[in-house]
Amino acid sequence: MNVETFKYDNRIVRAFAIATVVWGIVGMLVGLLAAVQLFFPEANLNFQFITFGRIRPLHTNAVIFAFIGNGMFMGIYYSLQRLCKARMFSDFLSWFNFWGWQLIIVSAALTLPLGFTTSKEYAELEWPIDIAIAVAWVAFSVNLFGTIAKRREKHLYVAIWFFIATAITIAVLHITNSMEMPAGWLKSYSMYAGVQDALVQWWYGHNAVAFFLTTPYLGLMYYFLPKAANRPVFSYRLSIIHFWALVFLYIWAGPHHLLYSALPDWAQSLGMVFSLMLIAPSWGGMLNGLLTLRGAWDKVRQDPVLKFMVVAVTAYGMSTLEGPLLSIKTVNSLSHYTDWTIAHVHVGAMGWNGFLTFSMLYYLFPRLYRTNLWSTKLANYHFWIGLLGMMFYCIPIYVAGVTEGLMWKQFNKEGFLQYPNFLETIVQVVPMFKLRAVGGTLYLVGTLLMVYNLYKTAKAGKFEPDTEAQAAPLDKAGAAHGQPGWHRLLEGKPLFFTVLTAVAVLIGGIVEIIPMFLIKQNVPTISSVKPYTPLEVLGRDIYIREGCLGCHSQMIRPFRSETERYGEYSKAGEFVYDHPFLWGSERKGPDLAREGGRYPDAWHFNHMDDPRSTSPGSIMPRYSWLLTQKMETDALPSRLSALRKVGVPYPAGFENGPAQKDLQAQADKVVANLKQGSITAEPDKEIVALIAYLQRLGTDIKSAPATAAN
Amino acid sequence: MLYNLVHSVLREAVSINGYGLFSFLLFFGFFIGVLIWAFRLKKNYLSHMGDLPLKSGERPENSTDPIQSENL
Repeated sequence: MNVETFKYDNRIVRAFAIATVVWGIVGMLVGLLAAVQLFFPEANLNFQFITFGRIRPLHTNAVIFAFIGNGMFMGIYYSLQRLCKARMFSDFLSWFNFWGWQLIIVSAALTLPLGFTTSKEYAELEWPIDIAIAVAWVAFSVNLFGTIAKRREKHLYVAIWFFIATAITIAVLHITNSMEMPAGWLKSYSMYAGVQDALVQWWYGHNAVAFFLTTPYLGLMYYFLPKAANRPVFSYRLSIIHFWALVFLYIWAGPHHLLYSALPDWAQSLGMVFSLMLIAPSWGGMLNGLLTLRGAWDKVRQDPVLKFMVVAVTAYGMSTLEGPLLSIKTVNSLSHYTDWTIAHVHVGAMGWNGFLTFSMLYYLFPRLYRTNLWSTKLANYHFWIGLLGMMFYCIPIYVAGVTEGLMWKQFNKEGFLQYPNFLETIVQVVPMFKLRAVGGTLYLVGTLLMVYNLYKTAKAGKFEPDTEAQAAPLDKAGAAHGQPGWHRLLEGKPLFFTVLTAVAVLIGGIVEIIPMFLIKQNVPTISSVKPYTPLEVLGRDIYIREGCLGCHSQMIRPFRSETERYGEYSKAGEFVYDHPFLWGSERKGPDLAREGGRYPDAWHFNHMDDPRSTSPGSIMPRYSWLLTQKMETDALPSRLSALRKVGVPYPAGFENGPAQKDLQAQADKVVANLKQGSITAEPDKEIVALIAYLQRLGTDIKSAPATAAN
Repeated sequence: MLYNLVHSVLREAVSINGYGLFSFLLFFGFFIGVLIWAFRLKKNYLSHMGDLPLKSGERPENSTDPIQSENL
């Protein structure tokens, strides 16, 4: 038989492995700093660049795209070559992918603390970086499909299907959600507004979790778990059902992030039902993973790689059961905006992604360096400390979440809110925030032990840059396995398979998103809702820059507990000029949708300077730099012009003169208001713009409620 | 033109309230199809596919790893 000899590229795998470890530490450290600020706000050292609102997206981006992203590439570059029995299609593309990705991460690490953000969760990076992401992703995809094309194994193993689904779907999601109008080099406005922006964002946000954190890692589970256990997957048939059901269903579930919001009810219901159906394929996958270990549980006791995998797969099962339960509208009414969601995502991130990444690293390092793991004992310590860290993180935050939800909804016997001051509810859970930081520290300590162990392993062995392998070329190998069946034909033709996967993925998105844009009744207009004034636009941009929406929602749900606390519930028509929407997903502070007119300007000034002077016990950081920094009036023309291009009806030429006058007049008014409160402020300072924006929030509908249409 | 066509079809022909049923039937049909497909697959094919990760093609002499050596 004609057998070819070739070499697997280990250098690229090692590069991604090192990047995974380095960025993992960075992401966890930033997370810890953010966690500490939630009970000790002064931990930002009154330094705007490391304040909670700005480093929260840095933490999420670092963990998702840098730690888990590099871990994903590490696993794919190792397993794909071996499953295809071929070296990667192009070494140049491999390294282009690697360095491009690291450059994107460094750009994110610089721009997010500097306040350059689109504000859309997990898509905060500004437009030039968005383009770079698309380019790096194309390089990865070409390399993936190129390797598949030159494979020596006829059949595509199920792991590769998951990789294909990842490559296609992330490209579609990223491009659709990143449609934005530039208003300068590092500033842009979303093409979509309000409700539509919210739907697209959470269609993206949910599916970024699905197709960046789940499908590639499922592919890796289907490769590394059988490898580590040295036995085939429990049921290959089940893995086929798992794949197709998962890729078809996942994409529909995005609206479960917007339950009881101003999103049309049909979209909410669709999101809920499809989320519930997701339990079936997810648990099919989990059971398939765990049952692969049947008869091999003695190995689990000894091998740290398998230990980490068992916890990872179990965490996958737990979070994919919890996710659908949280999508039930009644459960969601309690959990949404609370820390429950934070606990839920950390079971997934720390347990599923984190532990599976650790298991891959422990598996790969000895093999890349041709030696044994330096210390199994230390790896076991890592396992237990990491597990304990996860428990200490998640359990207190679950308690905090349920406490918050119940306290927000509690009425007294007289029918008034039991805790009318939001601050009372957050003070109650501060001890839980402290415990959470302990948990995060433990998890980080465990990871540091791993770094030392891997370093010693590398030192003890000798790195093998290329591993020699042999296989027969495709045509001869392909003839060896009986009659072709339907599925065999399908996965024997990667292009057709890819198209079918894309169709399965896209159906859900199309069914949800197209009617949202075409059917006018989805967003009933309110004639009194007007575009923001120039000063308010600048104020809104400061609100975005500081990441205020990390703690303050702008969406009052139609519950009595919310309307009593915040005022009339939010309507879809109120957000038609909101590019981007700023509904938020978490409340560490009260909702601000109807903040306008609630307090005098002077209160806001003092509150921003030192929140504890107006609200004793508040965990909000000081924003004293807003009192001294000048607002960016020079940027106004490009911003108003960009907003007009995305559909805000500013008159032609408005930005070339009238806007500056309008801004000046409104700023003078705010300064005069502040003077009444014995505060002297200059009209060109950022605080003036922010106050103008906050005082506008939710007031349009109050001015002429009778004119509401539909 | 196309916009108007799609717009009118969506607005008039398909009621937005029918979306839930439409979506469910779409998935249900798809799911049943996948089930039939999966259960009609041959056993030797399934076992060949399940074994793929265990066959990396690496030479035994290149591997110090006991697990990998076993697989070849």
